Amino acid sequence: MVTPDLVSEEDIAKLTIPDDLPDEQPTFKAYVEAKVYDKEGHLVQYHRQPMRSLTQYFLALMAIPIIGTYQGASINQAPGILTNVLGLPSSISAYYNANISWDWAIQLGSGTQAFSPSLTSLAAPILNGTGAGELSYGSLSVSYAGSTIFVSLQVTNTTSSAISVTEIGLKGTIYIQYSAGSINTYSFLLSYDTFSTAISVPALGMAIFQITLSFMG
Amino acid sequence: MMVGKGIEDIDIDMPKDAYDTGKDTPTFRAYLTIIVRDSEGKVVKVHRQKSHSPTANFIGLMLPLTYFNVTGNSYTLKNTGGGTYGYKPAINVGAQCISYPNTAVNYPSYIVMIQVGSGSQSNPYAAYSLAAPIANGSGTGQLIYGQPSVPSNIIVSGSEAYFTISQTFNNSSGDTITITEVGIITHLRFSQSNNGSYTDFGQVLVWYDVLSSAISVPNGGSVTIYYTFTVNP
Repeated sequence: MVTPDLVSEEDIAKLTIPDDLPDEQPTFKAYVEAKVYDKEGHLVQYHRQPMRSLTQYFLALMAIPIIGTYQGASINQAPGILTNVLGLPSSISAYYNANISWDWAIQLGSGTQAFSPSLTSLAAPILNGTGAGELSYGSLSVSYAGSTIFVSLQVTNTTSSAISVTEIGLKGTIYIQYSAGSINTYSFLLSYDTFSTAISVPALGMAIFQITLSFMG
Repeated sequence: MMVGKGIEDIDIDMPKDAYDTGKDTPTFRAYLTIIVRDSEGKVVKVHRQKSHSPTANFIGLMLPLTYFNVTGNSYTLKNTGGGTYGYKPAINVGAQCISYPNTAVNYPSYIVMIQVGSGSQSNPYAAYSLAAPIANGSGTGQLIYGQPSVPSNIIVSGSEAYFTISQTFNNSSGDTITITEVGIITHLRFSQSNNGSYTDFGQVLVWYDVLSSAISVPNGGSVTIYYTFTVNP
């Protein structure tokens, strides 16, 4: 008979949150990258830094492929991580069926704030537009190579002044589709980083921001 | 605007942190903790290692809708039996996405188990099944699988956040059992929202690790495997 009390659950909990194990390659690397061009298309700034700040919502999103969307084979309810962290419904009232999918977006900002795994927004998001202090957001591009996912966004500054970008976030939106056309949406901040050096997008210039998420195999 | 002039035509200082030194603190890590007990419940071994290996299935399942919308591509998932499925979620009543609990039908997508095996394979990313799964049972070479334990929340402590899933296996085989590989298996169903149609894709390996040293489970003993996923450790 196995008696678990010879090692307390508290001890086990400590073991499962180990200190760094030296001399091994990290599981995951992430980078934030920015390339800035002037109005003539010359590259005027290149910046790359490690991403350091994933939120608990990223962790919950990546839990979906790992733990699934149901508590079990015969339990028609969503796992607690999805309901408690992401705020998804335990079960949805549907005529026919329901499913889940998600999308990402890059958000830029001009503020700074201390990181918390529970952050929900940038300090000072830069709006999409052509007015003063605004950047015109292009389409998002997503690709992958092996275990690395690339997310990039092109923005254009159509104003007559340079715009400084000091923070960047990866945003996520979860969609639950049900009853032939009904959609519930849930939005989160998946990562948050401040740039170690501000990115200045010149008047009539443009910039490409890229987030690289590399799961090392 | 013309974009595309080479980086060489301008003097740009490369920030020091642009270089991959291999010493950066990653923002995400996964760990394996394995605790082995003998027939009297006494802990006889604690094994810890970093987990390295989401599989190609996991990467495909993580991709956002934009990838599928812009490229028009599907992503080929492979289940543990070698069967394939062209995963292509979309905001469309006829699109098949991962099933979600609802009041109409019950097509569950759920974690089946942490599976253990006695083999190994050199390319974990491409793995779609364990090399030599240890069967559930009390026969020769088998382990009795407990149910996977999944927490109901993520623990947040300062900047760190984590969750741990675990599973216990008992050895009633009559002999020592050696574990050399571990994986996480999820059963996936893809359903569409405009009717009861769905695809039961079966069991999918989403995470896989070869152990850095073999784990021996004595007869009458047990082993508990903990997978911890953490951000900002």
